[in-house]
Amino acid sequence: MTHLSRRKLLKTGLAAGAGFAVTRCASSSTAPSGTPNNPAPGPQVNTNQIKDVNLRLIGTGVSQINEIRNKAQEDLGFKMEMRALSTEENNQIAITQPGQYDIFDGEYFSLPLVVPSGNLRPIEITRITDYDKIVPFFTEGSFDGMPVEQSQGTAPYRVMYVDGPDSKEFSSTPTDYATLIPFQYNADTLGYRPDLVGREIESWAELFNPEFRGKTSILDIPQIGIMDAAMVAEAAGLMTFGDKGNMTRAEIDQITEILKEQKRNGQFRAFWKTFDESVNLMSSGEVVLQSMWSPAVTAVQSRDIECIYAPLTEGYRGWGGGIGLSQNLSGIELDAAYEYINWMLEGWVGAFLGRQGYYSAAPENAKKYMSQAEWEYWYEGQPASEDMVDPFGTTLAAQGSVRDGGSFEERFGNIVCWNSTMEENTYLVQKWNEFIAS
Amino acid sequence: MNKKRSLTFYLLAAFFALFVLFLYSPMLSIFILTFQGPQGALTFPMRGFSLTYWLGQVFQEQRVGNFVGAFWRSLGLGVSVMLLTLMVSVSAGLAFRNRFRGANSLFYLTIASLIVPSILISLGIGIVFQVLGMQTNWFSSGLGAHMTWTVPFAFLIVLGIFNRFNPSYEEAARDLGASDTATFWDVIFPLILPSLLGIGILTFTLSYDEFTRTSLVSGQRNTLPLEIFGMTTNVTSPALYALGTLTTLFSVVLILLAFWGYSALSAKQKQPKL
Amino acid sequence: MTRASKTLQTYLLAAPQTLVMLLFLVFPIVMILIVSFWEFTGFSMEPGFTLDNYRAIFSSNVALRTFLNTFKYVALVWAATLLIGYLVAYFLAFYVDDKRLQIGLFLLCTIPFWTSNIIRMISWVPLLGREGLVNSLLLNLGLIQQPLEWLLFSDFAVVLGMVHLYNFFMIAPIFNSLMRIDRNLITAAEDMGASGWQTFKEVILPLSAPGIAIGSIFIVTIVMGEFVTVRLMGGGQAASVGKLIQTQIGSIQYPLAAANAVILLLVTLVLVLAILRVVNIRNEL
Repeated sequence: MTHLSRRKLLKTGLAAGAGFAVTRCASSSTAPSGTPNNPAPGPQVNTNQIKDVNLRLIGTGVSQINEIRNKAQEDLGFKMEMRALSTEENNQIAITQPGQYDIFDGEYFSLPLVVPSGNLRPIEITRITDYDKIVPFFTEGSFDGMPVEQSQGTAPYRVMYVDGPDSKEFSSTPTDYATLIPFQYNADTLGYRPDLVGREIESWAELFNPEFRGKTSILDIPQIGIMDAAMVAEAAGLMTFGDKGNMTRAEIDQITEILKEQKRNGQFRAFWKTFDESVNLMSSGEVVLQSMWSPAVTAVQSRDIECIYAPLTEGYRGWGGGIGLSQNLSGIELDAAYEYINWMLEGWVGAFLGRQGYYSAAPENAKKYMSQAEWEYWYEGQPASEDMVDPFGTTLAAQGSVRDGGSFEERFGNIVCWNSTMEENTYLVQKWNEFIAS
Repeated sequence: MNKKRSLTFYLLAAFFALFVLFLYSPMLSIFILTFQGPQGALTFPMRGFSLTYWLGQVFQEQRVGNFVGAFWRSLGLGVSVMLLTLMVSVSAGLAFRNRFRGANSLFYLTIASLIVPSILISLGIGIVFQVLGMQTNWFSSGLGAHMTWTVPFAFLIVLGIFNRFNPSYEEAARDLGASDTATFWDVIFPLILPSLLGIGILTFTLSYDEFTRTSLVSGQRNTLPLEIFGMTTNVTSPALYALGTLTTLFSVVLILLAFWGYSALSAKQKQPKL
Repeated sequence: MTRASKTLQTYLLAAPQTLVMLLFLVFPIVMILIVSFWEFTGFSMEPGFTLDNYRAIFSSNVALRTFLNTFKYVALVWAATLLIGYLVAYFLAFYVDDKRLQIGLFLLCTIPFWTSNIIRMISWVPLLGREGLVNSLLLNLGLIQQPLEWLLFSDFAVVLGMVHLYNFFMIAPIFNSLMRIDRNLITAAEDMGASGWQTFKEVILPLSAPGIAIGSIFIVTIVMGEFVTVRLMGGGQAASVGKLIQTQIGSIQYPLAAANAVILLLVTLVLVLAILRVVNIRNEL
């Protein structure tokens, strides 16, 4: 037997396919011949007519929605390509692959990372038609003296302006150059299944309640997850922070230690990265209480599963999303991009997103496109005078129901912290990764 | 060998049956869930029944993303990777019939390409493109990443083929005065054709389903597996399962066609050497 | 044809593959090595020379635990695929006499491999979830009172998923080496009075060792770098080196990811060499 050539055995064996490669073969007749080689339409293409413009957008699944693209193409007369990414990928591409996008649809908390890369082009505020209709908290940091004015973390206002047309430095006071023009935002909190929880959830502390061991989830995006964790730890009296939105290393160590302990105890069922994952976790019953985003809650409800977006006594965690321009843009494409921004504020999108529970940056514009009943339900916290139907045709709320947390002022005004990129962000990410990996 | 239907036979046969059940049951479950009604969800029990609703949804525009485009990209990429891989590996296989300096290094390098953890390829190519300031794209960096996966497979099989290749045919051709090129195309190529077709399909499917090596380097447009992965986090309807059903059927049909084609071709050729 | 032009021709023929390997394998890995010494500024990597990345890895016990956890997966998946793979290949090679049936059954085992891994993974969810088919079945049979939670989003699920995905890599090489065993050797052994077990131990097993080794190399290298199964089946909770690297890439900490990748590569190479040592086929490559 030693005469058998092991060499041959190994060589052919290594090709794990060898055993049957000979039993397989071909028919590439189903495939088109030829090598595809369609270079990406880049901004370097010389376009003289706006109808030839093709803007490439990156963003998350929250707003990279084909319906919005179709409507924009129809109204504006040029083409758009949308890519739905996870929050993490979105930042990653914004920072490391500037050639891949013309418009960055991202969150304010990403800006301390994205702006220093120099990939974003400061937006000339004079070219934004409805800038004065934007909710003043974004543009001036004020909101009727509500708690949100004292909120911690990367509040949009803090990263709204840069010093000049070529600056990468944030300005603490309004200038003529904006980083992002907001179009949607929300007040986030915990979501839960009342049928499986069996009582009302009123505090962030419940996320660590042993009663729900193995049935909770927290989102795995460091700059957001850490804020939820901080709200929980604070509410549960496990620790206090000088400034949740800008933790010290010691505070980061302490909070991640708490998280690791909870994980060891089996408190969490899973972690999620995109909001649809949270929908699946909740609607399949894997999780009964978790960090959630508003449209995820409505998505669960639309499947006839009860889900409550709990108004919690400690207040909400806020986030804001907006449109930024890539440095690639120039000439007619830049003009097109500005048109797109103005279109985003004009109201149609605000109403479209509003029907899923987001708020529009320019509410009075969105109101034009919403019915009286919709406006009263989503913004004024009144009982629905008719069934609330989302843009995809699903009924989200039956007649008579009231939005969790009430009116726009009650919800937005009670934001106490924002998704945050802290000074110790690198350290935070490292410690967060350790928590996830632990 | 013991040909009796011994106890061992029945035990092994039962084990094999269980294995096949294990292999196919998850896929069966998503096939079944594909045929739910419009109220369908991602888990059992079935909500309603419809043969075509969710399959049809696959071709409708989704709320986000677009996998019809991704399918065509993966198809194009698979075919390109297949053709390039065949050229590269057959050419290298021919070279390996002679001794040459560096042959060992190249051999080990190719093996290394197969067994290096895929994430390194992805990360490495991603970093190279970034440092050089180049854009990653499915047809450049993505194609390269696929080649690191398909070439070793193809190369090793080609080596096996040439190892068992009877050189007397080509010697005869040369004696008759044929050039090297003519010898290859007129003698060697037809003889190895059925195997090449096999390798081709193998390569194509490897590329068509590749995920890890492409994950960081596909650029701004996704290949199908990447799009599907994106959908696992962005789609909450059985359309996901319907897509899974369709792409699985596509692969299965391809394999069966390949098998049938190979049988037909080699029967026609009656080439026992291969 | 002259000797020189023959040599030139050989080099030309070998050139494309060499080029592919240099461009897409060697160069990228060299870059990973270089970048692993670069600095990270919070949002980008800067050329430089620092050992901080390695220091960060070796100073935290999380990296160590992550590696240990990955080894655990490797060991479990390896053992399971070897057992399953050998039994299946053995059955096909020695107990199915009809050639067509044999090829047909083999194809049956390989077809799933040619379909999307991602789809195969997510298809476990409706089966194993809290409200999944397995749990409902067990609940209805009265075997359990509470749904089993370890079925999904657990180490069990991760290992199950990987075994399901990668058993092919074990079956194919073992089947291949079993098929190449000269049946006369077995008959001879039997004629000499060897029992079934002795024949297996003295003849079949040693001759199929290269197949086992090759399958093992595949399993080890694949599982060492795994992150998709770990993420989807582990519900984001399970840890592996590949996932750690991927998370670091996600937060654009390339230098740290590169340092981890270098260590991963070294560890994997050591494991592969160890396998080659045990089976002792290294010199015959």
